[in-house]
Amino acid sequence: MASKRTKGISRRRFLAAAGTTAAVSAVGAAGVGKLAAPALAQQNKDRIILGMTQEPVQFNPLLYVNAGTENVPEACMFDALWDVDDKGRFVPNLAVEVPSQANGGISADGKVWKVNLKRGVKWSDGQPFTAKDVEFTYRTIMDPKVAVRSRAGFDLIKNLKVADSHTVEMELARPFTPFLWAWQNMHIVPEHLLSKEANINTSGYNSQPIGTGPFVLKSRTAGSHMVYERNPDYHRGPAKVRSLIHKFVPDQLVLYGQARTGEVDYMGLSGVPVDRRAEAAKIADRIFIGIPQPWVQFIYFNCAKPQFKDPKVRKALYIALEMQKSLDDIYYGAYPRTLSYLHKTHWAYNQALKEETPNPELAAKMLDEAGWKVGADGIREKDGVKMKFTMSTTAGVPARQGCQALFQQNWKRIGVDMEIKNMPASVVWGEYTTKSQFDTLLVAWEPTVGMDPDYTARAHSKQIPLKTGFGSNYTQYENAEVDRLLELGVTQTDPEMRKKTYARIQEILLEEVPFAPQGSTNQGHLRKAAMTGIRPNEYVVDVTWNVQEWGWA
Amino acid sequence: MLSYIARRLLHAIPLLVGVSVIGFGLMHLAPGGPLAVYTLNPTITSQDIDRIRVALGLDQPLHLQYLGWAGGMLTGSWGHTFFGGRPVLTVILERVPATLLLMGSALSLAIVLGLAIGILGAVRRYSLFDYLATTGALVALSFPTFWFGLMAIFLFAVELRWLPTGGMFELGEEGNPLDLLRHLVLPTLVLALVITATWSRYARSSFLEVMHQDYMRTARAKGLRRHEILFRHAFPNAVKPLIALLGVELPFLFSGALVTETIFGWPGMGRLFVDALAMKEYPILMGMVMFTAVFVIVGNLLADVAIALIDPRVRLQ
Repeated sequence: MASKRTKGISRRRFLAAAGTTAAVSAVGAAGVGKLAAPALAQQNKDRIILGMTQEPVQFNPLLYVNAGTENVPEACMFDALWDVDDKGRFVPNLAVEVPSQANGGISADGKVWKVNLKRGVKWSDGQPFTAKDVEFTYRTIMDPKVAVRSRAGFDLIKNLKVADSHTVEMELARPFTPFLWAWQNMHIVPEHLLSKEANINTSGYNSQPIGTGPFVLKSRTAGSHMVYERNPDYHRGPAKVRSLIHKFVPDQLVLYGQARTGEVDYMGLSGVPVDRRAEAAKIADRIFIGIPQPWVQFIYFNCAKPQFKDPKVRKALYIALEMQKSLDDIYYGAYPRTLSYLHKTHWAYNQALKEETPNPELAAKMLDEAGWKVGADGIREKDGVKMKFTMSTTAGVPARQGCQALFQQNWKRIGVDMEIKNMPASVVWGEYTTKSQFDTLLVAWEPTVGMDPDYTARAHSKQIPLKTGFGSNYTQYENAEVDRLLELGVTQTDPEMRKKTYARIQEILLEEVPFAPQGSTNQGHLRKAAMTGIRPNEYVVDVTWNVQEWGWA
Repeated sequence: MLSYIARRLLHAIPLLVGVSVIGFGLMHLAPGGPLAVYTLNPTITSQDIDRIRVALGLDQPLHLQYLGWAGGMLTGSWGHTFFGGRPVLTVILERVPATLLLMGSALSLAIVLGLAIGILGAVRRYSLFDYLATTGALVALSFPTFWFGLMAIFLFAVELRWLPTGGMFELGEEGNPLDLLRHLVLPTLVLALVITATWSRYARSSFLEVMHQDYMRTARAKGLRRHEILFRHAFPNAVKPLIALLGVELPFLFSGALVTETIFGWPGMGRLFVDALAMKEYPILMGMVMFTAVFVIVGNLLADVAIALIDPRVRLQ
């Protein structure tokens, strides 16, 4: 009997144990139910909880690097001279009006810009906003000791002077129409606080900033959330809600779960997973919004590599691909197709561009004509060079890996051997990209100067960093006509003339394919149905561009 | 004993220097770097990147960068983060309480449960309970933590809505202990599940080994009662390897749980490490490496001292 008791379990003891477990579970469940009660509380309409997967670490609008999440503190606490609205129009913010030749803000030759600033605007510490703040912002941007993320546009300013307490005059080295974007993208910082700092890069201001924006930072809990309180003196009128909470939930699926349970009111970056979009659209009391993002996903060809030197070869490689299928099957149709570096809905998009993919037969014929013949191993070759190359992107992004696998199959059918070589983001987008060490990249990038159609940095032959130490033409693409048109486009002020110039640029780029466009990106956001004021804006990265208008019905 | 502890602490100095040199070297030898994140900004040019490299001090030779960092550490300055420019020590210390709470809860629960399951499994070897415990431990160790985390969130937070999906507090409830408890339940249970499985296996094996020793047979032959044999004779001997294990696991109290903290949005050290690694934030990564190295040394020292205290045969020299 003794051995039975120690080695086995009797029926009676089993039932007793099961009964005890059930009782303990019931008590536990009741306890948990009590603990859970606050989650079901009524909607608090004094505040909005905005959930994102990434956490901002830099709140100084001149220094941040993480577009998307770090745009939230920027939009909440700072103002630019002017903004761009959801129609792509510039609207005044700290400036009285957006300068133009018509209102006398821009000289006839396009070189002198005069900006009149609003009076009565105050920093959240009560100090007045003046032209000195604009001048200081510019000087900081140009200070080589400060790790400002970009000087694009500002490096054209030959001279900036404060004409009076609320007027600034700038002289440009040459006319530059996209100059409006430079100031739209850089928000103004306070001279009276930052001019005293010995080192702006490590200033305490960067985590406790003072701005002119619709909210002020009340508290920050590292790794969890930031709380903003309404700025009652905001110059465009107080924000509609008393507080905005920016909450960080690193896992995309968990954030989606919180949007479903109501723990966050608005699910922003990185959006609803593409395979859950259909489900998200059916959730009661929630509204699913497809937010167009400025990025277009491309295949970048390194035009200096022997495989990609010939534009006809790049074109053949492009038309062999099932681009639409990749968007339908892998992104569940969430990403609209585009044939340019611009969204199809962009005002400068060339609507005459024609879809040519997929056409593997023509692709094979073009490669034959270009001298790339199929070898004994089934891989094409020419002059001893095999049509073999790698494609790289950030490792661990399943959708991109899916696209790569599809493209790999597409190319294999025409005797082209592509190897997937993905790496961590800090590797692939480092010197591997900037020193043009890649064969091909799968990358999503937005236009280079805000959402202006100018693409000089990416496509002008003088912007190849490997050759000139300047620019971001990582594909090393060179075309004299494109150079000329890019130089012309930034001096034109008539939108119709510009449209024609950029239409021709897009036409050439689609013919010579230094970068093969796949689709324009789109993020699925989820918000509570009672929220108001959300205005998706494809011309900016962040959804909070008009955060002061967010409220509740 | 005190001179032993002092000697061990002195020995730790070259060890920490070695850890810092290897850590610093490996971090910089790995391909990529903190400037890659700037490349994602389309307006940035190569000149801008070069300028930022100089501004962040990344243009200096590696040994000068190391000496600069090490000199700072000696004077109590852990440096500033590349992104945000915040003092590294502040960034690390603000995450410690959350990690300490989560890891402390999970480790305590797991040790108690693991010991109980292990001892019971050893005492009732090959019983139904033993088989269930062994299978359970195998399952818990085989499935990835993130899977348990997501399943727990799906079931208890999204479907049943008993508990929150993540975070440390309901917004506006900061400081409310009941609310903290609600948020602590799921990550603690998920984390404890895996640690319990490990501890139960160690405990079972350790107790089984001790229970087959000659002196245990003698104790039984003397007619001692079962619980006396177990707790007076077996326990002090069987628990020694477990104390060594605790010494090894002590640093996790401070270094955090990478996956669990990420899944549950727990604002601890694990999350900080994941984020810093993605951005190649060398100052934070080095700070965390040194922080963890100190606790590895302290944890092992404490384990050695504890073993000496419970076993008179061990002499610390």
